[in-house]
Amino acid sequence: MFINWALQEINLKIVYYGPGMSGKTTNLEYIHSKLDPSLKGDLVSLKTKEDRTIFFDFMQIEVGRIKGKKPKFNLYTVPGQVYYASSRKVILNGVDGIVFVADSQPHRMEANIETLLDLEQNLKEDGQSLENFPWVIQYNKRDLPGVESLEELQKRLNFFNVPHFEAIAVRGDGVFNTLKSVINSVVQNVQNQL
Amino acid sequence: MVQTRKLKDGSRQVILNGNQYDAITKILSDLATKTKASAILFADMSGQLISQRGHTEDMNTTVLSALAASDFAATSEMAKLVGEEAKFKLLFHEGEKRNVYLSNVGEDFFLVVVFDVSVTLGLIRIYTKKAIEDLRNALAEQEEEGQESDQIIDDDFSTLLGNALDDSFK
Repeated sequence: MFINWALQEINLKIVYYGPGMSGKTTNLEYIHSKLDPSLKGDLVSLKTKEDRTIFFDFMQIEVGRIKGKKPKFNLYTVPGQVYYASSRKVILNGVDGIVFVADSQPHRMEANIETLLDLEQNLKEDGQSLENFPWVIQYNKRDLPGVESLEELQKRLNFFNVPHFEAIAVRGDGVFNTLKSVINSVVQNVQNQL
Repeated sequence: MVQTRKLKDGSRQVILNGNQYDAITKILSDLATKTKASAILFADMSGQLISQRGHTEDMNTTVLSALAASDFAATSEMAKLVGEEAKFKLLFHEGEKRNVYLSNVGEDFFLVVVFDVSVTLGLIRIYTKKAIEDLRNALAEQEEEGQESDQIIDDDFSTLLGNALDDSFK
């Protein structure tokens, strides 16, 4: 969190984390397509020529002034592929809240778990932990046939019982609720710690 | 000092007061005048733009700061791989029309200087070095008493923020 008293700005960094192809960029693309142009900046994507995120996607959104203060949210995604581990780590620098985008398909369960452990490891290196960090889970791709049941996903992935959302990010289902929830968790967290 | 707090969960909170912001902006203005740089940005290592000077109207400086922070992050990983124990302190990108000079300011901040190729690198180096010293001093100034983040983020604030988000996401 970065507070600039001179400009009355409160800046928060939200990172979308998750295995490759789980829909992190799709979340940002949907948010970008739906927000009023006055509230959003450009969506920047550093992609490979195969359209996979190589470094990150970035977008800043605003909601106008609240009690004279101007909250701004910097949304980032990380590349999901295992071999981009160091990119993932550096994007977590200064993070205030995390959305873990899980892929609901049974064959991606191991990738979800592996990425969650990778996230915990990266947070630990910065003296943080998923246990008391503001984060939420989004179970994406709920429209695909044969997806894992919500109960199973909850049991395998949500071991700290954080807020969770079912989503179909390509259609926008669950996308805003997820974002609102993580912002709320961050704000609550700041309040609780003061 | 610029107020940097570690919250209980380990996340970092950086608070900049009005005097520091004014001092920083003045240093950037001076640097812009002396070097004739096209644009100068001051940002923190998480990618957060703090202040800017020069002809930045047509430049998306928010994104530029985010990319520059990643540039530092990527090269510090590169430093490790090649056996350099410290981080690289300065990065230079040479173009056909414009060059970009990035230099860290302490551990947590950095400066981006965008300048035309007609300006010599030596000039940029000399003045940037001086500006970095001044910035470090400005960041080390005593903060004003009083303004605390608990004053801004109260219950009322979260409710209003929630409503504003609902409105934006309609």
